[in-house]
Amino acid sequence: MDPVTGSLTLKGAHVLDPEQGIDRVADVHLADGKIQFVGSRELTPNTKVVDLPGHYISAGWIDIHVHAYGTLGFANPDTVGVYQGVTTFVDAGGPGIGVLDQFMELLDNLETTLYAGAFIRPMGLLGLNFIEGDVRTLGEVPITRWVDFAKQHRDLLRYIKCNAIGDYGPGTLKLTKGLAEILNLPLYMHIGEFQLQNPKHLLAPEAFRIAEAGDMITHLYHGNLGQVLDESGKVLPIVRDAERRGVIFDLGFGGYNFSWDVAEKAFAQDLIPHMISSDLQQFNVVRPVKSLANVMSAMIRLGMTLPQVIERVTRNPAQALSLVDRAGSLKPGLPADLTVFRVETGAYEISDCYTKVRKAEKQIVPVLTFKNGKRFEADLAFAQEESNWFLQIAEDHVPSRARALSERQRSFLSALAARLSSINWELSSAERLDIEKALELQEIFHEVRGKQGLPLKDALQSVYASFLDQNFTMQIGLLLLRLERPFALQRLRDVSGQRPMAA
Amino acid sequence: MSQDLAGSLQVTERPWHVLTGLRADNTKFPARAKLDGEGIVILQTKTGLRGVQRSCPHLQGTMMNAELIANDTMVRCPLHVYTFKLSDGKGVNCPGFRLKVYEIKEENGVLFGRSVS
Repeated sequence: MDPVTGSLTLKGAHVLDPEQGIDRVADVHLADGKIQFVGSRELTPNTKVVDLPGHYISAGWIDIHVHAYGTLGFANPDTVGVYQGVTTFVDAGGPGIGVLDQFMELLDNLETTLYAGAFIRPMGLLGLNFIEGDVRTLGEVPITRWVDFAKQHRDLLRYIKCNAIGDYGPGTLKLTKGLAEILNLPLYMHIGEFQLQNPKHLLAPEAFRIAEAGDMITHLYHGNLGQVLDESGKVLPIVRDAERRGVIFDLGFGGYNFSWDVAEKAFAQDLIPHMISSDLQQFNVVRPVKSLANVMSAMIRLGMTLPQVIERVTRNPAQALSLVDRAGSLKPGLPADLTVFRVETGAYEISDCYTKVRKAEKQIVPVLTFKNGKRFEADLAFAQEESNWFLQIAEDHVPSRARALSERQRSFLSALAARLSSINWELSSAERLDIEKALELQEIFHEVRGKQGLPLKDALQSVYASFLDQNFTMQIGLLLLRLERPFALQRLRDVSGQRPMAA
Repeated sequence: MSQDLAGSLQVTERPWHVLTGLRADNTKFPARAKLDGEGIVILQTKTGLRGVQRSCPHLQGTMMNAELIANDTMVRCPLHVYTFKLSDGKGVNCPGFRLKVYEIKEENGVLFGRSVS
């Protein structure tokens, strides 16, 4: 991160900081990338001032549930980060223990602070109906690797995620709870069956049974099988019990996981999520999620007050993620992570993930983001650009960025093609996605890379540059598996034989 | 090249079926129709008519509201932007998913269709 020097005063905005009990017009003073204090003082001639009457300022928003990495991720995850008012986000299940090394190498250059909510499956979350609910796709849970990784990268991991779906009973949830206990991390559980599944025994109630204080359950207001309401629309007692025990509820809007009907019934009974998160991914950014700000606007429409909404994207997630020493408040000395936003009045429509639309009169619009004091202009359209979310293989051309690969990278690709030529693979259908094969292809990638002594990042980039115009970050074994074998081998050979760009 | 080879080796030609369920005076596309008992949606592309299965193989979004993209060579489901090639139905951003696609032709004012591959 670039060091930001000098001081800056944000003047005349309405400051909301639930942690310090601030809810009034006040100045916010920043110096050297940190928050100095909130309040009045005489300004020196050297202090830069940004006048912000009619705006609000809060601590930088924290989105506890996005998909930055892998099959659901974005070409540029900052588009749903600092460019949408979000200064800290957590990848909810993108990486598992088998790909956390790739996750770290590829996403180390974001402006937004990214943490991992690691998934129980080694390959991470795939988001496919046929895979997520099948216990056999979990593979092995290598405890030793998990413990060693967590010891080395304690700061990166913020929770362990699993999906409470499928027809195999609560074993997966207990197993994930066990891992979370070993690693001393909270458990984070998805509830709500994917639409194509119809299990005999729903796991959502098991999630509420198993969760302990500090564990989190996401998609509180989903409208699929396994809701928080009974058939008459009443909140299930088991949900209330979990809330009393200190289990934390998360919104997780997503492409499948928010229903106006459920939300309105639950809200009327005071079942309110402790945290507001978006679940943004490449398949829902165009609609219905759009941005965390849109999800916050939905919560205003539901009946939350603005301070309630802000608390749920600042203080509450900071507490749940043990980040209070660095985020979630405007306390003196904390990093200068702030969001400047407006609450606009007009005639708006907010869709849920099904067919229901609600008319709304208020809309939250981020304007500026400060990350460690560095300023970003908010741009909600940036994330919507097709190149940011439409992941397609460049089948009819070699991506131009392949020309920039080094001699060593091209030699690696040549060796990889030679090694893969003795392996067969095929992706016949999503239902039969062979995760074991993806892991095997990944092992081969690592084996060849090891022999060539090529750093992981360089090896990954050489494969991505051979097949993708944009900077997506899919699990390398899955990327290879999805390619048609003859095409993949030919492309690797073609790129390895290309002459590099003249320096 | 390999496609030509496969084509020339094909023994039985896939049969054409008269499309049913279309209003005789229909000039608007997309339009629903039936092909050999199966519900399809007919799309108007720059290069002519093309048929696709009625709902997305992901979560059954209706292809009546699908969007044609990439110079009309791909179709995108409105629900979760799952995108398919109109040539062979292969998922572009959703590997392993496949949309059924159909050739459509008109003869003497009657529409015929047959499945691709």
